Amino acid sequence: MYKIPQDNAVQEEMLETVRSSVEMLRGVAGFSVVDTERPGSAIEPHGGIQDDMQLDKVLIRMRASSLDAYGGKLIIVCTKPDEEWRIARLTSVRGVAPTFVDERVFSDEQDAQAEVFRMRLEEFPSEDGMPEHFHQGYKRPGADNWGPV
Amino acid sequence: MRLTAYADKWTVQQGETLSFHVNCDGPAEYDAELVRLVHGDTNPLGPGVKEPRVKSPANGTYAGRQQVIHSGSYALVPDAGPLRVESMTLQCWIWPTMPTKADGYWKPGPQAIMAKWSNGRGYGLFLEEDGRVSLRINDHTIVSQFPVRDRAWHFIAATYDAVSGSATLYHEPQITYALDPVPAPVEQDLGGSIEHGDIPFVISGRIDRRDSGQGGVSHQPMGWIVGDHYNGKIDSPRLCNRALTRLEIEQMKLGGAAGMDEGRSLGPSGHLGAALVAAWDFSEEISGCRIVDRGPYRLDGQLVGLPARGMTGHNWSGRETDWRRAPGEYGAIHFHDDDVDDARWDVDFSLDVPADLPSAVYAMKLTAGDDDEYYVPFFVKPPLGQFKAKIAVIMSTTDYMAYANEHLGTNAGAAELLFYRTPIMQRPNLFLTEHREYGNSHYDVHGDLSGVHMSSRLRPVLNFQPKYDSWLTQAPWQFNADLHLIDWLVEMGYEFDVITDEDVSYDGLARIEGYNVLLTGSHPEHKDGYYLDAIHAYKERGGRFMYMGADGFYWRQTFHPSYPRGAVTEIRRCESGIRPWHADPGEYHHQSDGRLGGMWRFVGRQLHSVAGTGMAAQGFDISTYYKRTVESNDPRVSWAFEGVEYDERLGDFGLVGGGAAGAELDTVDTTLGSPPHTLLVATSAGLHTDAYLLVTELFGINAAGLNGTQHPRVRADMAYHETPNGGAVFAFSSIAYCGALSHNGYENNISRITSNVLNRFMQDGPLRPPEDTAVARGRLESDPELNYQGTVGD
Repeated sequence: MYKIPQDNAVQEEMLETVRSSVEMLRGVAGFSVVDTERPGSAIEPHGGIQDDMQLDKVLIRMRASSLDAYGGKLIIVCTKPDEEWRIARLTSVRGVAPTFVDERVFSDEQDAQAEVFRMRLEEFPSEDGMPEHFHQGYKRPGADNWGPV
Repeated sequence: MRLTAYADKWTVQQGETLSFHVNCDGPAEYDAELVRLVHGDTNPLGPGVKEPRVKSPANGTYAGRQQVIHSGSYALVPDAGPLRVESMTLQCWIWPTMPTKADGYWKPGPQAIMAKWSNGRGYGLFLEEDGRVSLRINDHTIVSQFPVRDRAWHFIAATYDAVSGSATLYHEPQITYALDPVPAPVEQDLGGSIEHGDIPFVISGRIDRRDSGQGGVSHQPMGWIVGDHYNGKIDSPRLCNRALTRLEIEQMKLGGAAGMDEGRSLGPSGHLGAALVAAWDFSEEISGCRIVDRGPYRLDGQLVGLPARGMTGHNWSGRETDWRRAPGEYGAIHFHDDDVDDARWDVDFSLDVPADLPSAVYAMKLTAGDDDEYYVPFFVKPPLGQFKAKIAVIMSTTDYMAYANEHLGTNAGAAELLFYRTPIMQRPNLFLTEHREYGNSHYDVHGDLSGVHMSSRLRPVLNFQPKYDSWLTQAPWQFNADLHLIDWLVEMGYEFDVITDEDVSYDGLARIEGYNVLLTGSHPEHKDGYYLDAIHAYKERGGRFMYMGADGFYWRQTFHPSYPRGAVTEIRRCESGIRPWHADPGEYHHQSDGRLGGMWRFVGRQLHSVAGTGMAAQGFDISTYYKRTVESNDPRVSWAFEGVEYDERLGDFGLVGGGAAGAELDTVDTTLGSPPHTLLVATSAGLHTDAYLLVTELFGINAAGLNGTQHPRVRADMAYHETPNGGAVFAFSSIAYCGALSHNGYENNISRITSNVLNRFMQDGPLRPPEDTAVARGRLESDPELNYQGTVGD
């Protein structure tokens, strides 16, 4: 599988791209890692995942990870509609609710997107999904419920 | 969420009564207030929530009480003398799907396959927590040598001889692999008599207790609360009143053939027939809610929770894939511990809908203090045959049921790949991660990872509320998104009736024939055949149809015949389409009506034939805009663009993804059912991100280049065509479309185009196309340069 660069400068560059998207898409009901024609608009997407193959592949590897990968998949939880958001981790067990990772409260939903990416850069190993990473899950991909469970 | 509730109906006629079932888990009381729902999107950049209050005798303060859902499906056979056996043999096949459970699983513990057992008294077959089969006689338990294998057929049987006190347990896998241990019967002397109570015999569970408290009888049939639900299939259960030999057990697999006096004996033989208590045949009445006993006592049972039926049995050969053609191979029922057919809550209060209450979207708004709030939406329609406006909006109730209480964002980790960002969860999403008893949607898999076929509206549906943003779009979706359209109609001053999918399906043409124009919601994906028939007839008789979204008319749905009107829907996701799960081989036919499920396209009803466009792509990061095509200048349709410049970007704004073209997208395709005279008047071709991908049914070979910046069919096409007798259809072809209507105080080009179309379509009398437009048209003629160049590779 595609390697996640460990070089600080490269990671910082990717993170900066995501943060730039956060600024561009503030106020848009939606999010993507792209630039647009002006802040607050989703129109004319360019840059980001449209042009940066490395960033796109890193993001896809992170998004494709299973629910319980690296302590639980990160999600954003809206704790006060249109005002407050926090970051939590999913569990892979039905009946066990997600847990908040910390006390931080974000006042903009897009800011939390960038922070999740930063946390994943810290958590994900450079390599995964190669023959030397074999585990029994290779034999049982689980339900076809839009991806790994 | 301490307040949850549902109404007995989602659509109610003026003058009828609606009952409300409320769970108020904590507060001593709650307030109820009738509101009309106009706009439910909380986005501060939009018009905001609009919910004018409505005076009603039902408004007031009510005492709160907890009501819980007992999920899990099972069959219940009332206590009867023959079931109180002294000696016995139990036998059946099982196909377990969750022999062991993860630590922390919400329903831990053993699983009862069939039992007349509770609190250490009685008899029954179980799966213990380590996955081994067991026989329980009173407080004794005999366990098989080895655990069962998940998703494999096993024959199991157990005998008990009250005279000798000896018990034997058989566990025989139907398939064994090279390195499997060889199972042998387990024998043990137990002694004593089986103790009996008045509890029912349960298949796929066992009696936990009788609820003698408030509402106990309504909570479960006869007040019995069932526990230790089983996950998996059970086939051909039998009960005999003595300990059979292994040979007799083998013979008893033949079951309870009806006796014919001189013709043959009851059961496999006269000798064995005399021992038969019950032989349930699950291939009988597959569309019903009973299990049928072919034994002599008629110990038929009631099915609770609506498990999956029409399921392949241990003997399925694959020669037939339709349960109606080989019922003997469909003797299995698949039970789940999270099936829900009806919450069965008690009624807390009722609403008599006044005969003069205008047709509209309403909700009973429930509040308790500042923190607890829950809406119970419903739709008020005119009496059948009365049409109080020229316009009607069809609210997509079948779709709201399909998505009811979905868990994709929390169950399917890689769903994140769908929308290219980290999902943002709301309070209902978190509540549902813990409260699995609220049941699933047609997009979920059960706890045992099998697909969810059935969805009931007789339970609280947490994502069927205003103010709800979906993690999928980071904006309203389905019901709350359809309020974007309701709001626009209200703000633009249109008078309209509100009807629902359920009404069109059950009442047919009589429900719609008096309207000049019908509008769909943003996402009319799930429809039954009666709905499509009615819309077809309406269009052919000169009706006008505005398709206000995308991904329409995609999946075949049926309403289950054994439940109240519109209460329970069924889907089977077969060999094509965008599927969050796949039906298993041989299980493509609905239990509701026996007919083949799946996409309408693959049973001969092309999506594109309903409104001129059909699903082509989806992506959920951000949206974009449309641009007009030269066909928008055709006099047949140019009226739709009055006041809109040719070069304008149409809908480069909106409350769903920031544009009018987004989320799910439809295109014109005359080879897939778009009428040959369809005009493609605007398109978003080439403007989408790489989060958008072509739908799976549009390609046969997986190859690169299916994404938004590379594939020419990743686009939304606005389209128009005329129907016979002065009818017409306009398709807007994007789920995000209605989210753009309110931009700039409703003054924008999307609003303008929509009102141009609606104003024309709502006119009385047939619409007349310009003269000389009736010419012969082939399906491929529209672009001969493209279509006649030859095949790829020439």
